Amino acid sequence: MKHIWNRREFLFRSSGGIGGLALAAMLHEQNLLAQTPANDVCAAPAIGGNPLAPKPPNFKARAKAVISIFNTGGVSQIETFDYKPAMSKYAGQVLGGDVRVHDGRPGPIMPGIFKFSKYGQCGKDVSEIFPNLGSKVDEIAFVHSVWGRSDDHVQSTYEMQTGQLRMGYPSMGSWITYGLGSENANLPGFVVLQDARGGPLGAQNNWLSGFLPSTYQGTPFLAGDNPIVDLKRPSGVSEAQQRLRLDMLARLNEIHAERYPGSSELAARISSYELAYRMQGCAPEAVDINGESDATKKLYGLDQEITAPFGKQVLMARRLVERGVRFVQVFSGGLGVQNKDTWDAHAGMRENHSQHAKETDLPLAGLLTDMKARGLLDSTLIIWHSEFGRMPLSENGVGRDHNPGAMTVWMAGAGIKGGQSIGASDEIGYKAEKQPISYHDLHATILALLGIEHTKLTYRYNGRDMRLTDVSGEVIPQIVA
Amino acid sequence: MTKRLVLTFVICLSAISLYRGVTPLKAQAPVSFSKDIQPILEQNCWGCHGPSMQSSRLNLSTLEGALRGGARGAAIVPGQAEDSRLYRMISGLDTPAMPLGGPKLSDEQIGAIKTWIDQGAHWDTGAVGAKTGPAPASSFAALQNAKLPPGARDYWAFKLPVQAPVPTVAREFSNPIDRFLEKVREEKGLKAAPRADRMTLLRRAYMDLIGLPPSPEEIDAFMKDTAPGAWERLIDKLLASPHYGERWGRHWLDAARYADSSGYENDTDQPNMWRYRDYVINAFNDDKPYNTFIKEQIAGDEIPNRTDDSLIATGFLRAGPRVRNHEHANPARRYDYLDDVIGTIGKSMLGLTVQCARCHDHKFDPILQKDYYAMEASIFGYVEVEYPLGPREQADAYMRKMRDISAKVAALKDQIDEIDKPYHDKLALEEIRKKYPPNVVSAVEKPESERTPGEKLIAIQVLESGSSNRTAAAVEKIMSPEDAAKKKALNDQIAALNAEKPPTPPLASIVTDGDWRSAELGYGDRNEGACPKCELEYVGAGKFLELGPGKGNYKVPPSYFLIRGDPDSKAYPTKPGFISVITTGNPPTELPPADGRTSGRRLALAEWLISHDNPLPARVIVNRIWEHHFGKGIVPTLDNFGKMGEQPSNQELLDWLAVEFMNKGWSIKQMQRLIMTSEAYQMASEYNDEASAKIDPEDTYLWRYRIQRLEGEVIRDNILSVAGSIDLKMGGPAIFPHVDDSFIKTLFRGIYRNPQQDGPDQWRRSIYIYQKRTLPNPLLQVFDLPDMSQSFGARYTSTVPTQALQLMNDNFVLNQARLFADRVKKEAGDDIAKQIDLAYRIALTRSPTERELSLAKDMIQSSSLVDFTNVMLNLSEFVYTR
Repeated sequence: MKHIWNRREFLFRSSGGIGGLALAAMLHEQNLLAQTPANDVCAAPAIGGNPLAPKPPNFKARAKAVISIFNTGGVSQIETFDYKPAMSKYAGQVLGGDVRVHDGRPGPIMPGIFKFSKYGQCGKDVSEIFPNLGSKVDEIAFVHSVWGRSDDHVQSTYEMQTGQLRMGYPSMGSWITYGLGSENANLPGFVVLQDARGGPLGAQNNWLSGFLPSTYQGTPFLAGDNPIVDLKRPSGVSEAQQRLRLDMLARLNEIHAERYPGSSELAARISSYELAYRMQGCAPEAVDINGESDATKKLYGLDQEITAPFGKQVLMARRLVERGVRFVQVFSGGLGVQNKDTWDAHAGMRENHSQHAKETDLPLAGLLTDMKARGLLDSTLIIWHSEFGRMPLSENGVGRDHNPGAMTVWMAGAGIKGGQSIGASDEIGYKAEKQPISYHDLHATILALLGIEHTKLTYRYNGRDMRLTDVSGEVIPQIVA
Repeated sequence: MTKRLVLTFVICLSAISLYRGVTPLKAQAPVSFSKDIQPILEQNCWGCHGPSMQSSRLNLSTLEGALRGGARGAAIVPGQAEDSRLYRMISGLDTPAMPLGGPKLSDEQIGAIKTWIDQGAHWDTGAVGAKTGPAPASSFAALQNAKLPPGARDYWAFKLPVQAPVPTVAREFSNPIDRFLEKVREEKGLKAAPRADRMTLLRRAYMDLIGLPPSPEEIDAFMKDTAPGAWERLIDKLLASPHYGERWGRHWLDAARYADSSGYENDTDQPNMWRYRDYVINAFNDDKPYNTFIKEQIAGDEIPNRTDDSLIATGFLRAGPRVRNHEHANPARRYDYLDDVIGTIGKSMLGLTVQCARCHDHKFDPILQKDYYAMEASIFGYVEVEYPLGPREQADAYMRKMRDISAKVAALKDQIDEIDKPYHDKLALEEIRKKYPPNVVSAVEKPESERTPGEKLIAIQVLESGSSNRTAAAVEKIMSPEDAAKKKALNDQIAALNAEKPPTPPLASIVTDGDWRSAELGYGDRNEGACPKCELEYVGAGKFLELGPGKGNYKVPPSYFLIRGDPDSKAYPTKPGFISVITTGNPPTELPPADGRTSGRRLALAEWLISHDNPLPARVIVNRIWEHHFGKGIVPTLDNFGKMGEQPSNQELLDWLAVEFMNKGWSIKQMQRLIMTSEAYQMASEYNDEASAKIDPEDTYLWRYRIQRLEGEVIRDNILSVAGSIDLKMGGPAIFPHVDDSFIKTLFRGIYRNPQQDGPDQWRRSIYIYQKRTLPNPLLQVFDLPDMSQSFGARYTSTVPTQALQLMNDNFVLNQARLFADRVKKEAGDDIAKQIDLAYRIALTRSPTERELSLAKDMIQSSSLVDFTNVMLNLSEFVYTR
């Protein structure tokens, strides 16, 4: 059996080395059960041997947190940020070579269906469906030459999220939390914010920890005042009752632990109840957006029906990062009706992408504005990605099939150089042509921005030192200024 | 469908014929590559398949590239133009005709290429990056003849275990285990703990062997039994309990990466997999000798006198994640599945990370890449079949009958499709006009001859993609009376045939030998959701199972050494074999059964695994047993005995046990009896010798008993048991405990039959919980249920606040705490002291100390018994062994 807490941990576990009971009493005095716990209590970092204690990076980090915006279903590069005017001259023509599509048969070449305009000082061409993000292009580095290895949603989703096509590997957020720990002991280090319509393709394996200890798996936060399943005391149990139970539990567990002097595991277990107790106050506070100003709410589009759900997700993400959460995984698109509720635009590119862009454009621009205003953008990496791009070919004249050959990913924050376009797909957006970037290259880049040398973030499993980047991965050299 | 099947065959044929050998050269003038062939290739092919671009991953500018081929397989087979894809495509024998979109080569050019290939495809030039060619066989000779590095076998785990004499130690011990342990303790200066009290031992034995607490009556009975041999009698009683298999079967399911769903996007239900889970439980209960247990799981379909049980056992091979969708379009996945099987056999039975040798020789252990591909060849017949249980002749007859009916029905359906077609087209056109943009409509409306190439594509796409209004009812409305009559007659015939279908017998998910290429749609492509009958129509892959004795002529499809593990980079054809470094002599690699239904390769693999000449399997299982009793293996990395694993803390002991295990008939229960009757097992955990703690703080050398956090399953089972609400019904289809709706919202396809709320029908033992790969049970998962995708060794013990949240706040636990309180009240009456004493005895197998009693009294008096039982279910002592 592998124990995750080491033996030194107990003594140093809580701030100032306060023992279990004393700490519980202190928290009680501070009336932590009230709705808004004191910020300094909620902000306490995990220290000592806690597996989530912050760990130093390999070299100077540009960012300490990540907000990953994953657009489930597969975003069309051609309809968003990878402008392909040359396609119009090939409209209706047959693409030569051995063309592989996921569903049915290939159609002819279909030019992008949206208008593009130039934005920002860099003059970036952006689709009409992202007008607000258009105004942010000088903050953003676009990567147009990302390519993956599978045209199946879930395999490519796993490749993007875990580095492997096969299921069962740790997610990027797990790796990063494993590598860097968390800045806040009272919140999970890796939080998942799903689309209100449902989970992403590939379900929980997007944030499970695979062969890493489950300590590092993502914790889904739900909207509302009970963000974590089983966080709140049940309705039939009064506050006094719960306090009574916890005090009694702590007493009996301490008596038990006395029988095993030096057992760090038992000490950790006692402390985990304290952490859980603090989490009951701190987690709802962390994602309670009611206290945000009207201006902020408007910035995230909470005043509009179409933008409010995603706006809430990214606003929650900002609040979590502000409170020291290491990795926030936000999903756009979720499982209801796949072709409608995710970005999987087989059956109607115009309707599908117009809708999903409309839902996310304003809140994403708001997030960039807000993060910058609060001085958080420099220390946070925001990455916008998907499992693959879409085909330059028509599907029934209205949609596009999956295309792992070329996808656009963008990044902002973390001191990256904005207003640039890295790599290029070919003139119809079919394959990555200039500076092809694999998913492992992306992972290596993300880790580098967090100060982690990707070849050094390893975990011994299956007889070798496993890595998020497996046996490859090169940092995108021009990503930073 | 038929078309696709034919195409698959062609691709396979051309891919596999590469190594058939070279036919005698025809008496023809030799063709020169540089003079005659290279200019043709350069001008017509290299644009797409040359140095700067490798469309379809094919590079025709080097010999290596041409031999390796592209996405479709090898381009040339030296000596065999007719089997060479290059020749077949330029001559129009295969589609797409090459050069794609360009003019056909002249007959002279095609003839020259044919002759050149037939003459051996000699590559006599240093063309762009070209290698002047050694014959293909010799170019792979280095791979094929790879040898173990010198001294490879000089590593403890690769040598056969031998029993060292049991050491003599100062203290008197009757159990050899203690003498081996004491010898090390003496060397290190460690002082062993005294024996634990009897109540502690009772709890320890119950937790370890059945994972359920003793009832108060059982406690009393044991405490009263003070006659000699009481401990041994207790062990025997628990080993004989049917709940023993539920506890120990679960350990094996970790190693077998067991799940009830397929994983990946659809996470398809595997409605018959639970039979394998029950097989494992029964195998432990029956103390099936471990060598038989291995043999049945690897080759239960190949052994003489196979039974339903032995067939079900092969579920082990297929319990891993499978996509089960678009399989034929993704042939490379099959290699991942085979890798999953090899990896699982390696980690669970051999304690070796064989998978590391898939792309190159293992970097740390002397496992050659060619060993990996020899293992792969040993399982290469692998096909998954849903097979009827019951007497074999009956099952076979059933399969034949179903296949016969399905074939006839399919033919009739083709005829119906033909009748429907014009009507379908008409309806489709109507819908297309309504639904699609003008350019699509005009493409579809044009006569085919007038469509541009692009319009042709879009027309086919739209017409094929199906439309919602082509229902049978809609078609009937517009159908001519004659056609309607014809169709009805055909439908009547189908109905008559369907009526002849025998009722579906119980099915098992098994693995046998077959030909995956003849599986019509790939595994389970049509098996969405729980539809075992659907699957029966697609068992072409397992057809050899149906043949009568002596009638089979099964041959394994050819397998290849894959360069860097790439399915498109086939080197030499492989023969079955094993891991060289742990193979003694030349054991047979095929033991074909008399009926010829299978190759006998897996049987040979199984025999190799369980041979006394194999140094690992006995050590590995004995070490697993040890870990489950002591919380840490003698080799802590249960699934890795290689150099990257941890080294044994007491190799002499491990080897002694391994040999003992084999000599005593591979009985797991006997091994446990031996372990549990040792003093080491009975040592106290509450013991602190400061000197020992200093020397060996991690208790590596067992100077006291290590307490262990119980697994999530055992915690849940204990909660149900102490509440008195557990339903101990055994076996059968899985249960679905209620989970929070937010988990259900993350699901895509596949099933999780979430009940409205928690309830008694869900209160069975945790081993029966539906193991869904994309929705692990939240309670078990928070307590470190391993990922179901890969064979797992020792479980983690993490301590996280979400565990506390679940035990404090989850409705399931709260419910059980109430029931626990009710039970205590009912059985102990109104006396609070009696209630507390009983609660302690039920939950912790002991009475409370005075301090605990007084604390509990205070609490109950100031609030309620339920508050107290809630606390009990959260106690560290409740979730730990003692």
